[in-house]
Amino acid sequence: MPKRETEDCQVKALRCEKCGTLDPGPRELCPKCHSPEMTDISVPGVGTLLSWTTIRRPPTAFREDGPYHIVVVDLDVKLRVTARLDAPSPGVSPGARVRCVGTKNNVPIFQETDA
Amino acid sequence: MTRRVNVIGIGSTRFGPQPDKGIVQLAIEAAEAAIRESGIERERIGALYFGNFISGPLTGQEVLAGIVADNLGLPNIPCTKVEGACASGGIAFRHAKLAVESGQCDAALVVGAEKMTQAPSATITAALNCAMDNRSDGDSGLTFPGFFGMAWRLYEQRYTLTRAQVSSVVRKNKANGLLNPLAQMGRLLSDEEIEQSPFICDPMRLFDCCPTSDGAAALVLAADELVTTAGAVPVRILASAQTRGAARIAGHPDLCSFDATVSAANLAFKEARIDRSHIDIVELHDCFSIAEILDSEDLGLVPRGQGAHWAKEGRTAVGGDLPINPSGGLLAKGHPVGATGVGQIYETVLQLRGDHSNQVKDAAFGLTHNLGGTGVACTVNIFGRHDA
Repeated sequence: MPKRETEDCQVKALRCEKCGTLDPGPRELCPKCHSPEMTDISVPGVGTLLSWTTIRRPPTAFREDGPYHIVVVDLDVKLRVTARLDAPSPGVSPGARVRCVGTKNNVPIFQETDA
Repeated sequence: MTRRVNVIGIGSTRFGPQPDKGIVQLAIEAAEAAIRESGIERERIGALYFGNFISGPLTGQEVLAGIVADNLGLPNIPCTKVEGACASGGIAFRHAKLAVESGQCDAALVVGAEKMTQAPSATITAALNCAMDNRSDGDSGLTFPGFFGMAWRLYEQRYTLTRAQVSSVVRKNKANGLLNPLAQMGRLLSDEEIEQSPFICDPMRLFDCCPTSDGAAALVLAADELVTTAGAVPVRILASAQTRGAARIAGHPDLCSFDATVSAANLAFKEARIDRSHIDIVELHDCFSIAEILDSEDLGLVPRGQGAHWAKEGRTAVGGDLPINPSGGLLAKGHPVGATGVGQIYETVLQLRGDHSNQVKDAAFGLTHNLGGTGVACTVNIFGRHDA
């Protein structure tokens, strides 16, 4: 089981102070208005699974973790993030609802949810 | 009015493990063959563009452009290495074409090379991950096969893709590889063998992935004035487009499509002033079986959702209405990353000369497509037979 550093279901992101654009970060300039005023925020870690896979041949840095599941999630706040997926049921498919249950090395970990 | 540019000489090593040869040796072998075939004096070559991705991490050797030019005995000319991950070779080609077209020089040499197989596979996977935006995607542990595995799962749901349809891409390209003397792993495969190979990144299995390779390919490009009857039959460059796509996976509006390919194809067809229906042969970036399906649709050559059907029906085989990767593609010919884009052009030139060992009958127009990173860089080139 991945180590749970937080239990608050929040995902870290950036918000532009000028135009309000959200971005998963890290980024120096707002992708929309190019303002450098990007502020760290937390957003609700609830969303829809876009796709996922199981990495069975990890690169050197992640050898200890393998095999593990990677997921792309469209958060309800309209933010797309690349993250880990914890214990997916075999039939889980694009469109499934997921929620953030913690992080590992600052990468969010998602699980399927009914929410 | 810009000048017309031709490919007047080609050279290539075979692709695949070559434990006895270093990257410089491979590059020289390909480049020397291309120069000799072109029939021009090496003093006429006014620029060298070298496509390479990860020679630093994998071989400990950089400044390849200058080293190779020195060994070839080229004059004191600008020698430039370009890097755009798996599109490095295609980008090198485009810059050489621009140098000749703009009159900076009358002839230019393009070389692409990579040396990979001496490294352990986890090291290679880690080196290939240099092509990701590692600040945003690297920490998750995602790999390139993983990225395409996710694209496959989404495409599968959207278009009711079957395993057998994807396997037909693998079977076609591996069979084509048997007819290419430069190919790393041509083979006649059954659906069962493919379906029983181990998962790499579900639903992707081993035979859905291209092999890592050693290899080099080279081209001599020249303006019309330098085309002589002494050299090889010239092939015309009708277009070369290069584009950028999202650097981050989360930045792609659709995981089943690469914006960079879509826009490069549109630019290339505009420049070439020919219709998509004129293309007789395609060498595209099938780093994974699913990638061939996505690419053929992004290029606008196959309708959305039909890529796998076309492969299953044999329409993309040699003899079909749109032959794709008669060389075996990356899946069978191999993928020495920096060499791949140049190797695709080598194959296409042979087709348009009518000299390919897996010849597409009467091929007059060819297209190459080279994609880098998670779709962050792309080149699409269009070529025409000298009399077309």
